[in-house]
Amino acid sequence: MEGLNTLRYREDGNAAHVTLVRSHIDMAMVRELTQVCDHLEDESDCKVVVFRGEGGQFCKGIDFKDFRPDQPMDIHGFNKWEKACMRIERLPKATISIIEGTCSGGGAQLALVTDATIAHPSARIQFDEVHLGFLPGMATFRLAKHVGLGHAKRIIMQCPVLSPEEAKDLGLVQTISEDLDAALAQMIEAFGPIHNVAVYLARRLLNESYSVDFENAIGHFLAAQHRAIGQTAFLDTIKRLSKE
Amino acid sequence: MANPAVRNLFQASHIERRHLVLPEPSADGIPQESQEALLKKHRHWALRLAREAIEACLSPRGLKPEDIDYLCCISSTGFMLPGLTAMFIKHLGFRVDCQRTDVVGMGCNAGLNGLNPVASWAVAHPGQNALMVCCEINSALYVYDDTIGTGVVNSLFGDGCAAALIRAEESADGPALQDFHSHIIPEAWGAMRYDWDLSQNKFSFHLDRDVPYVLGVHAETPVNGLLGRHGLKRRDISHWIIHSGGKKVIDAIKYNVGITAHDVRHTVGILRDFGNLGSGSFLFSYKRLLEEDCVHPGDYGVMMTMGPGSTIETALLHW
Repeated sequence: MEGLNTLRYREDGNAAHVTLVRSHIDMAMVRELTQVCDHLEDESDCKVVVFRGEGGQFCKGIDFKDFRPDQPMDIHGFNKWEKACMRIERLPKATISIIEGTCSGGGAQLALVTDATIAHPSARIQFDEVHLGFLPGMATFRLAKHVGLGHAKRIIMQCPVLSPEEAKDLGLVQTISEDLDAALAQMIEAFGPIHNVAVYLARRLLNESYSVDFENAIGHFLAAQHRAIGQTAFLDTIKRLSKE
Repeated sequence: MANPAVRNLFQASHIERRHLVLPEPSADGIPQESQEALLKKHRHWALRLAREAIEACLSPRGLKPEDIDYLCCISSTGFMLPGLTAMFIKHLGFRVDCQRTDVVGMGCNAGLNGLNPVASWAVAHPGQNALMVCCEINSALYVYDDTIGTGVVNSLFGDGCAAALIRAEESADGPALQDFHSHIIPEAWGAMRYDWDLSQNKFSFHLDRDVPYVLGVHAETPVNGLLGRHGLKRRDISHWIIHSGGKKVIDAIKYNVGITAHDVRHTVGILRDFGNLGSGSFLFSYKRLLEEDCVHPGDYGVMMTMGPGSTIETALLHW
């Protein structure tokens, strides 16, 4: 991938690595995250996408330099950010964030839309938006599903700085490790042979599970399952396991 | 209904309302209508619904039936000769030199099978008016026998008629019809079909239980073909106008094409409010999309209809 300024992109075997080279999220980064999603969907055979920061930090949130206090505010930049998050959340790949140092605001939102998070002991997670007078994006929608409404209210309204241990207890972090690369290798191993369609459909049904009633959900499940069992991945499984 | 499984079909929540023309129930249930009565019902109500649909389509543009140069009528719920176009010319004020086509017996997908030649005609006759009328009186084609097979059909379809004006002109207020892509699944030839019910001497519509899944498996193929020719990805499509085939059909399209509940909001809404209206369903969804006033110049849309053959028809719109 060429022409990226706010991100670095490289592919290593099955994994695509996306490094945030700016400490803050600006509109250029939002645009480039979208470009990376295009590339991942259209061209890349990678099965895992890893998001990480640089220089011992993950991401310090939104870049306020993009705003002009003397101009009327508009919502369009926030809309673009939400669309980028949605794209990442729906990639037909497993997504992992590796966080260390500051992971706040938009950084915490980004980690929240990935499938799993690895934290360095130095990581400090904070949804600090409400203290700054605005809202933590659609984390207002997603966070309660992860941690329950009570914890979500505390995290979003009181803006505590969460240690990796607290975040792990809440289910926001899966693994804490000094050796991030070893932890990543282990996590990729845990995801196993990633079948894109099965990963995409399983995640979609899980994400929809809180907002759909059972009667609709079973219809969705049957449609999704029918698609999954028609894929070569499942047909290969049958061939292999029926011989055992 | 004696059969509780059939009763459950009618009580499912995804359809709240349908319009049907049915005889008053008798003491021992629903009276049987003969095939002759059903054909008459189709003719009578097709004319009545079409009169309203055509008026609703033309009058906001200051047009009358006599301004129409080409008329295409689509119906699969009643066989007649002469066809609907001839009947509409006789009764609704179209000119006697109006050119015409009747698309008969192509089922729920037929709206796009009709739109394709209508669009070509419009391009060949710039500035002239082509009108497409999708008219399905589903209550004129049914068998009632308390089995699951007829129960599925009888609990799904509704009567409805939609009309669309198609013109080739520089400054159109509607989208450009850019392309069509068809896909037929010959191995599922008989999945949706008319049978002759010997015990009741009537046509009966048969719907395989695997229809949603067969359509789901093949749904990506025409979409990829249509979009691929124009260098478009599914994420470039802002509006999906999909036939309201039934809840399972909509789910199959959603999870196979990878589109969202928001993308199928009108498809689901039309199913809820009218049932499956056959060939005209997608035009009802299209009308709701326009009423939202959320379409922007430059937006792309995909129309998608599914039906017997088994068939998936698609069209690409560009605003």
